[in-house]
Amino acid sequence: MANVLDLRRRIRSVKNTRQITKAMKMVSAAKLRRAQERALAARPYARMITSVLQSLRGRVDLFDEKTGNLCSPLFVTRPEKRVLLIVVSGDKGFAGAFNANILKVAYQFINGNPDKEIDIEAVGRKSRDQLRRRYPAAVYTEQTDEHGQTLQVRSARQGNVELTGDHPGLLVKLEISRVEALAHNIIARYVHEEIDAAYIVYNEFKSVISQRLVVERLLPLIEVGKQQITGAVEPTAEEKERRAEAALSAGIDLEPADTTEAEEEAKKFGTQNVDYIYEQPPSELFAGLLPQYIFSMLYHAMTESVAAEHAARMTAMDSATNNASDMIDDLTLHMNRVRQAAITKEIIEIVSGAAAL
Amino acid sequence: MAEPTSNQLRVRLVTPERILFEADAPAVELPAKNGYMEVLYGHAPLMAELGAGDVRIHQGGIESTSPETTRYNVSWGFVEVLGDRVTILANDALKPEEIDVTRAEQQLDRGENMWKEAGESEEAYDEALRVISEAEAKISSAAEVEKH
Repeated sequence: MANVLDLRRRIRSVKNTRQITKAMKMVSAAKLRRAQERALAARPYARMITSVLQSLRGRVDLFDEKTGNLCSPLFVTRPEKRVLLIVVSGDKGFAGAFNANILKVAYQFINGNPDKEIDIEAVGRKSRDQLRRRYPAAVYTEQTDEHGQTLQVRSARQGNVELTGDHPGLLVKLEISRVEALAHNIIARYVHEEIDAAYIVYNEFKSVISQRLVVERLLPLIEVGKQQITGAVEPTAEEKERRAEAALSAGIDLEPADTTEAEEEAKKFGTQNVDYIYEQPPSELFAGLLPQYIFSMLYHAMTESVAAEHAARMTAMDSATNNASDMIDDLTLHMNRVRQAAITKEIIEIVSGAAAL
Repeated sequence: MAEPTSNQLRVRLVTPERILFEADAPAVELPAKNGYMEVLYGHAPLMAELGAGDVRIHQGGIESTSPETTRYNVSWGFVEVLGDRVTILANDALKPEEIDVTRAEQQLDRGENMWKEAGESEEAYDEALRVISEAEAKISSAAEVEKH
């Protein structure tokens, strides 16, 4: 049986761990608050882009009158043979099952479509590390065409699933320019028919208790302004309860700030029932807005994922702190028992020693 | 700021990150894709695509030298003009003081290289032009700060 000194040491060490997890929880809570603010601040722009697109949609004919072609290549639907999957995970661990859950949904998607060729774009260090171990990276070779220009040409696939790119650290400091570059890259691939559809897997975050894992379709655009969710995993009631508990103890509001008024205001953008003068032909405006719309969907997914990651870490660290407290209680009880047993033993020894005299 | 009177425009500058600026002003200058335009109170409803350049919000009046002019360098975006409201959706917006001139110059060099290497690809030319005009707008915008 462990002696008192050992137990005391053990308790001290658990206390230190508790200190660390508690600090990490508070840090995550602060980061979560900031991430939530950022997600809220980004909403007017996304809302405005969506509403102006919706209103333009009613005024612009999707099909060109003369040629019968669609006015934007982003509306073209093709049979889905090659699919791009964007996996948004976290950059760091210590967030409970956050990263594992996202990867699980991604694998489900991949395994559910065995007959399709899937390209993966990994956002966040954790998903990159995992996916890189499982799937080969796409190989590109340089070739020179007849005009003497070098071109990047993709070599033959090594398997149905390949990793075409990764973006570690993109989420740490969400820079508009990098997200924009990714959006343009995706659009270019779609327009050049390298991919027939684009999906994104991420953790949606409405508030601390209302979040879920979703698979959303980015491209082709079938209907503007509606989330095209093709799969979602809701958290269990138990998980929700844990999250709410953790949020309350860290002083985070359960419900997001009320933004209905600002939302209503933003919805009005470009939708007034008046005859606008269009500086450019409406179809041109439309074509210009679409990439921005894709970008804002992508940015939205990333801001939400960042908030969800911090929330998950906060919950995990809250659980860890609670577990450490429980452990300290158990150990203290155990230590007291051992100490008492030792004292009792000593008394018995003294008493029986005295009786023997 | 002056009390909002009846002939003031409600100007909002929105970027993907946040609402950057919101105020009342009698006049706004906008860098539309095919040239600058000025919007006063009561303008006819208009929708336009923006290019790269400066948005000037003349809070003090129409004279561009007025001290109460707020200037933002924006690159690409859209604007909606209504009689009493101007909403600018910019892909990127910076205060002229915030512009990193060395970076803008690097961007200009990069754009010129892209231009040279574009060959016969129309897409590459357009992209190069975009980069160049964005860089030029930033440089000229920053240069104006130094003059004052």
